[in-house]
Amino acid sequence: MTGAGREAIVLPLTFLTVLLLGSVRVAETTVLAPPSVFALVLGLLFIRIVVQSGTLAPQRLLASSRSTLANANGLAALIGLWLAAAQVIAVLIPDSGLPRIVCGLLLLILLANTAAADPDRTRLLRSLTVTFGALFLLKFVVLAQLSAPGGGRLNRILQTLLEGMTLGTLLQPSQHAVTGYLALATIVLFLVALVLLPMRSVQTTGGALVRNDRESRE
Amino acid sequence: MLSADGRNGAARRELNTRLGGLTVTIAYAVLIAWLFSHQPQTVAQITGGLAATIGGYRIDEQAFTDGLRFFRNDQFVEARLALGRADPALRDARTQFYVAYSYYRQGWGRLYHDDSLYAEGLKAVDRAVALTPDGRLSIDDGDLRIHTADELRAELEAGRRHDGSDLNPMRIFRERK
Repeated sequence: MTGAGREAIVLPLTFLTVLLLGSVRVAETTVLAPPSVFALVLGLLFIRIVVQSGTLAPQRLLASSRSTLANANGLAALIGLWLAAAQVIAVLIPDSGLPRIVCGLLLLILLANTAAADPDRTRLLRSLTVTFGALFLLKFVVLAQLSAPGGGRLNRILQTLLEGMTLGTLLQPSQHAVTGYLALATIVLFLVALVLLPMRSVQTTGGALVRNDRESRE
Repeated sequence: MLSADGRNGAARRELNTRLGGLTVTIAYAVLIAWLFSHQPQTVAQITGGLAATIGGYRIDEQAFTDGLRFFRNDQFVEARLALGRADPALRDARTQFYVAYSYYRQGWGRLYHDDSLYAEGLKAVDRAVALTPDGRLSIDDGDLRIHTADELRAELEAGRRHDGSDLNPMRIFRERK
């Protein structure tokens, strides 16, 4: 795939697919939920981190030296990245109650902390994989198991106790198992698309790889 | 070293790739926006809804005729099954009007009305109204005593309301429309 093909076809379509897949919530009825305003704001912060780390070189998508059509492709990829990032964040935040507030706040702190730490591309991708993986397990394994209807007597007793102790703010609305699989596919697809983003160029000096901007800053 | 023809060919290929990519991206984004706004529940609703946006959606006339026949025989469950087959994407205002009317007639009672059936009727009449460009829907059918979506909606809402008129003994003389 050429650079133009990746920029004009692969990236925008992958990000839009992430947006669509991540929106599917299968419960009693299937709902396609667009990202919330809070997720969209976190998505902007996410883009800042991706640019800061060199995972994305925005000048390789939008620049005055490029043609109008190429800039339109770049803009589509950038908007797609923003929407997809917001959707992935929305997927990872629990649907209601105390976990929703805590996880939203936690993600905000984690993203702000990542921005302050100023990681490079490799470290950022590793950090995102761990963060997304942990939040996925929390929402789709731990909270889903605690909130799952039915189950044995012990499970029901535990649910009642938890509901009583947390005033009903911990348990989540039950979802079909397919929602979890779709969420996992969404996150993996998004991480793959992040790897495909046009990154900031690196240059070799004396056998060591040095990022252009970091070299100039230091 | 590339020849001039080779460079032109590569530039044309890149132009085509970029133009094609942009077109497909815009079409995909429009599709996603449509899905978010319409919230289809089945594949039939997706395909029917997309066909309706370009004016290509047609109901199954045979199933619609069957539905009307059941409706006039007071076989409302059967009528709704047939009307559901006629309009699987829920995109035809006239069919949705008859679905709403079937809920009204089935839920109507001299002493009380069935709230859950009336609630389903309200959903169907709202769907029917949403499918008309100006919000006006009038059905020219001599067998019906309610001809517009507004009247049907008012009737369904009145049936779900609980007030002093529910205690009026004269209500047993009212007739189903």
